Parts: sequence; structure tokens; C-alpha cells
Amino acid sequence: MSGLKKFKQSQWYGVVILLLLVVLFWAVFKILAPQTFGDLNRMSTYLKSALIYAVGGCGLYFICVMGPFDFSIGANIVLSSVLAVTMSQHFGYVGLVVAPILSGTLVGLINGIVYIKLHISSLIVTSGLALIYEALSVFATNGKEAILSMDYRAFGDYPANLILALIAYLICAFILKYTKIGTYTYAIGSNEVVAKNMGVNVNKYKIVAFTLCGFFVGLQSILTISYGTSMTSASNMSSMSRNFTPLMGTFFGLAFKNYGHPVLAIVIGEFIIQLMFNGFVALGAPTTVQNIVTGIALLAIVTLTTKPVKGAVVK
Amino acid sequence: MSEVLLHAEGIDKNFGITHAIDHITLDFYKGEIHALIGENGSGKSTFTSCLTGIYQKDSGTFTLNGRQINAHNQVDGNYQGVAIVVQELGTLSGLTVAENIFLGKEDEFTKHGVKNSRAMNAKAQELLNSYGFDYIKATDPIDKYNFEDRKLIEIVKATHFKPQVLVVDETTTALGEKGRKELFRVMHSIRDDGRCVIFISHDLEEVLEQADNISVLRDGELIDTVASKDVTADDLKKLMVGREMNGKYYRTDYGESVPDEVVLKGENLSVPGEFEGLNIELHKGEILGIGGLSECGMHEVGKALFGASFDRKGTVTLEDGTQINDITTAISHSIAYASKDRDNESLVLNDTIEDNICLPSLEDLKKNHILHAKDMRSFATKYAEQMSTKMEGVTQFVSALSGGNKQKVVLARWIGKDSDIVILDSPTRGIDVKVKADIYQMMDDMRRSGKSILMISEEIAELMGMADRILIMKDGRVNGEFRRNPDIKDTDLIARMV
Repeated sequence: MSGLKKFKQSQWYGVVILLLLVVLFWAVFKILAPQTFGDLNRMSTYLKSALIYAVGGCGLYFICVMGPFDFSIGANIVLSSVLAVTMSQHFGYVGLVVAPILSGTLVGLINGIVYIKLHISSLIVTSGLALIYEALSVFATNGKEAILSMDYRAFGDYPANLILALIAYLICAFILKYTKIGTYTYAIGSNEVVAKNMGVNVNKYKIVAFTLCGFFVGLQSILTISYGTSMTSASNMSSMSRNFTPLMGTFFGLAFKNYGHPVLAIVIGEFIIQLMFNGFVALGAPTTVQNIVTGIALLAIVTLTTKPVKGAVVK
Repeated sequence: MSEVLLHAEGIDKNFGITHAIDHITLDFYKGEIHALIGENGSGKSTFTSCLTGIYQKDSGTFTLNGRQINAHNQVDGNYQGVAIVVQELGTLSGLTVAENIFLGKEDEFTKHGVKNSRAMNAKAQELLNSYGFDYIKATDPIDKYNFEDRKLIEIVKATHFKPQVLVVDETTTALGEKGRKELFRVMHSIRDDGRCVIFISHDLEEVLEQADNISVLRDGELIDTVASKDVTADDLKKLMVGREMNGKYYRTDYGESVPDEVVLKGENLSVPGEFEGLNIELHKGEILGIGGLSECGMHEVGKALFGASFDRKGTVTLEDGTQINDITTAISHSIAYASKDRDNESLVLNDTIEDNICLPSLEDLKKNHILHAKDMRSFATKYAEQMSTKMEGVTQFVSALSGGNKQKVVLARWIGKDSDIVILDSPTRGIDVKVKADIYQMMDDMRRSGKSILMISEEIAELMGMADRILIMKDGRVNGEFRRNPDIKDTDLIARMV
């Protein structure tokens, strides 16, 4: 077998493709906007955003691999963030860290249980629950903006944000590779019936996946509130827009999962998304154009990297 | 004869109205390869699925080495001493080879919640090497391997823990020469070890060669158990079929001529992995039957003629020269198709009978570009009633109907569309005798009114009873043609199938 063929089959091939995409997008925007894009400082800022979304992307990955979907992560972020602010006022950093993790995980657990018990589409279940979580965020803040005290903003900048994000990625990679949960996540996603025949408690592990998603969204909330420093409660599904950036990272993870490093793919994927967003900002392109090009680029990348089976039903 | 290893007592299983296995009592002995044979739907796989935990039996008991066993799933079955290599692909994409081998048994390698992947990989590799499959790497993603290698991995998965009983369910059709050899080697070593293999295969020569004893099932009942050395393939065929044809049930006419007019013609048709080099002509007013074993490629023929196959090669042409390359063209040129997989490919289960019947006729039902609910209701009611569909009303959801009535909805849909060419794949699958008779009557009426029917069926009696002409397929090719004749014997057809 030739060296190239061997490399193409290796687990690092996908990572190299993603890194080449990073270089490509950076180079294109750097040429088009040399003054306003892509110097070291700016790259560090792009990475800062990417780190945050990738944590949520890791959580969503557990659910999306199995097949369902979670439309409530935006509402979860809003609720967990305002609770983080409230609890930090009473318990300092302990409150800032523990409250969103607990609330995020609990929201995930509720999502999973309701999804399994009601036997209806995860999209409908999580959308319905998102309305409830948004309402709770309004109750928690009395409709006022929750502002994080200057004393507790360490996770908004390096190195604390990087450390927390790295811990989250390691936990995700560890669960996927070194626990039964990881194996069963893929098994259920591959063929639920066969997995059931092998004794896998499919309902239980679906609930576990939703709970883990909530846990990682809780972690993302710590980073989100620390970076943004304030959070306004949400209503009328306004939190939906927060679903999409983590989801894009998850798409990268799914597209590159066969190469064996989904977490790396999620992180690098989020970084590519940030390069694109910020590249368009540097070019002064209107938001609508940014969205069109980003959407097309995302579809192109995912289409080129997945090989659907002919005739297979894609939902 | 040696000691009984596994005793099955009164095993019974129903799927809705279908009595899949009917109180089967059977003994399996130590040091034996015991074959189960029978037509499609005779209950072989259902019986072994109940044993190995894929299905839960309705009643009866399995006793292994004097201890009653009741597997709730395959892994549970493994722990109770039984294992199965299934007909379809039983490994899971997205997992490594090692993860597949030990799926459901991770606890053997898990301490404090942490899976010792290194130990699992090492153990899996050791097993693969011991079977002589050292070119398969335990750490590789399973997707890297082809179907045959994945079957070999399944064999390791099913046998490495030395099960007392191993079921090999029509696995050989998926294997090449090398794979078969490996499988037989494993089967012989289990027999030599004083354990037992239950071997399911349609290849009667292979059965006679490998098995010590053979049990024949028919319509869910145990017909007989014979020693391989005492029988020939022809004896087995007789036991497999042995069914009397009922004159009132099927068409009674013989010798009626079929017009020469060809309404649908397929030339040099091939679908990779399914069938190849097929030339087929369907005449006006003809019922053309296609028969064969389940995997002979015949089910894909229906799809190919309807323009629903992927990667189809060759041409499908109508009498007026129109080429059928997609479903839309097929329907607009009066071709109808009812798939074998009724629930997934023919019906919208979570919708009403009315919507299901009206679906392909919406264009015809429009008045001034607008669909009127009243017209749809009366259209659906007319054809559902014509088919004597047992329902509360056409607003009832299809998911609430029995298998037979679902099939009536499918047929009502195409009668309503007034299609001239009707492709029916397994039209009476899982359907009780009464509904079967209704469907046969409808087919006969359609034929008399000049409609042409292509009937794909795994039931020999149905083919002989209803078709003007029968094509028998084997391994993706036509292996015999029979014209309607009261003297044709079922064994003649079977001889062309196996």
C-alpha cells in the first residue's frame, strides 16, 4: 500500500483536512482584509469564542450521533447562565461553577426523561421544554439583565477559559473512548434494534446522552457568562439562535467521526466557523451575506466529507 | 443416539394474526449439527430467534443441559449458553472490531466505570488470531472490512465464549468459499467438542453434507426430523412443500391463451448485487409470476421495473416506447407497485386510509386545481369498500389496521388509480386465508379486464395457482420458466430455486 493511501486510511487524515481548511480560510480572509483580520491577537480572540461553542458542541454530539436532537440548549444556556450569576453573588466561584453545571445537567435529564416517556419527536419535546426553561430564566431574573460581578470573570479569559474548555474536551473524549456510554452511543446510532438485541438498554442510554448534553451545556454556560459578563432572560424562543453555533461544531464532529477524533473535529470546526464569521466582519460584509456564505460553506464541507449510502433515507 | 443437550417444548410464537411457530417440540443432541429447513416463512428463524433472545416466545420452554433458559436478548442468551450468527449484518458501524466482539460485555473490561480498551483490544486480537483471522485488526473501525470479513468477525463474536448451542442462520449465502470453509471448521469443532450447532440453510446439498440430522418446518409446524444419511435432496424438497392446493382458493382456469401484446419490456436489466442480465416481457392480461428464494434478487426486479432501483442498468420500455427510469414516469404511465416491505415502502402509517388511497390520484381528483375533501372521501370510501377493508371508516389511521387490511389499502390505492400494469411484491405476505382469497379474486378480475400483473412471490403454491407464466430466479438470474399447466409439480419449481 502506498504511503498516501495508508495515510488516507489513518485516523489523522480527517484532522489534517480540517487543519488545511483552517489555513485555507485564514489565508483567504488575510489576503482580502490584511489589516483587520487574522493577526495573532485576533486569532486568539477567535479561538476564545470557538472554545466556548465547542464545549456545547461536544454535549450535542452525544445526542446527534444517536439520532435525536436537542433544541433547548440555547434556553439551557440562558437559564444556567443567569443562575450562575445569582449563585456567584452568594457563593463566589463555587456558585458560578456548580450552579450552571447542576442546572444544565438537570435540564438535560428532564429532556431525556420526557423524550423517552412521551415517545414523541425530540425536536418537539425539546422545543416545548425550551419555552418552559426560558420562562424560568425570566422568573429567576425578574426580567432584569443578570450581570456577573467583576470579581468572578476569570473564566472569560485565558488561561482559565482554556483550562476549563480543555477539561470539558478531555471528559468528552474520555467518555466516548473509555466508557460503555461511548460505545453504546455509537451502537444505538448505528442500529438501535441490533443494539437492543445485544442487551443495550437503549432508553437508559438515550437519557444518559441528553443528561451529558445538559452537563456540557452547563459548562458552556460558565464560559459564556464569564466571556459575555451579562445575560438577559429569554422568551418567545429567542434563545433558539444560541442553538446553532454549537450545532455547527457538532456537524463537523459527525462528519469526521469515522476518522476517530470527533472532539478535535468539533473544536477545529468551531474555529473554522469563527474564522468565517470574523472574516466577514473584517471585510465589512453585511450580516445577511455572512450568513449566506457561512451556510453554503458549512453545507459544502459536510457534504464533501460524508459519504451517504445510495438510496438511504436521510432525515 | 447421544444425550439431549437442548430440549424445546411447545414453543409458540404469533406476530399479530400470523402464527409464526406452532407449539414446536424438538430435541437437539450433544455432538450434533442439526439443520432446520423449510420454505420462507416456515418459522425456522423465528424458532431460533426465540431461543437466542431476539424474539420473546409466547409460550413453551427451552431446557439446556437440564436447566430451563429464557434469553431476553442476545447477550443474555450468550450468558445462558446460546449464540447466533444472524442472516443480516450483525455488526455495528462506528465501533471498532474489538468493541463489536464484546458489545454488551464491556463490564468484563470495565473497572470503576472506566473501560480498559487496551485489554479489550488485546483479548479481541488474541481471539481473532486463534481463529486464524490475524489479518483483521481489533483496533480497526469495523467499517474498514467488507461484508464477508464482518461475518467472520461475527463468528468470533458468537463463538469465542464456547456456547453450548450455536445457531448459524442462513449465513453461508453471505460468504464466499473462504468464509464458508472457516464457518464449517468452527461448526465441526463445536460438534467435536460435544456441543451442538443449529444450522439453517436453503442449500440442501450443503445441509446434507454438513448436518447429522435435519428437521423440516412448514407453516410454523414441525413436519419431521430425519437423519441426513437416510434422505436425498428430493426427499427433503417433498417434506418442505408437501402442501395440497385448494381449487377454490386459486384460479381454476387452464389453457386460456394470453394475448401476444407486450405491455412492459425489460432488456438487459441489472442491479449490482441483486440480479443481472434479466430480459422480461409482460403481456396484456397476463399474470406473470416470479419466484425464488428470498435472496435470489427477485424482489429488486419489481423495483427495477418501477424505476425505483438505484444503479439500475438496462432499459424498461412500455408498449408505446416510453422508457421507465423513475417512479414519477412509471405512475404517470399507469404502472403501480406494491412493495414487499408494506409498512416502510408502501404505506404512510401515520396517516388516514383516505390519504393513503388518494395519494397517487390527487392530480385526477382535482377540480379547477383544487382538491375537495368530499371527493377524496367518496373516492377512498369507494375503493376501500370495494376491497372489503375492515375499518371504522376511511378517516381511521392505517397504523391501526391489521396486516391484511393494510395490504387491502395498498391495493385499493392502485385500483383507484386504475393502473394498467400492477407489480405486486409478496401480495399475501403475512395475510390470513380469507384476505388471501379476496386478493386472488381481485387479481383474477383485473386480469380478465385486461390489466397486466407481475407477481413476485416466495410462495410456490401461490405462483402455481395464480400465474399464467412463472419465472424462477436463482442467484440473480432466471433459472427456469414454466407456463400455466395443471401438471406442473412444486418440486419442479423448487429444483430450479435451490
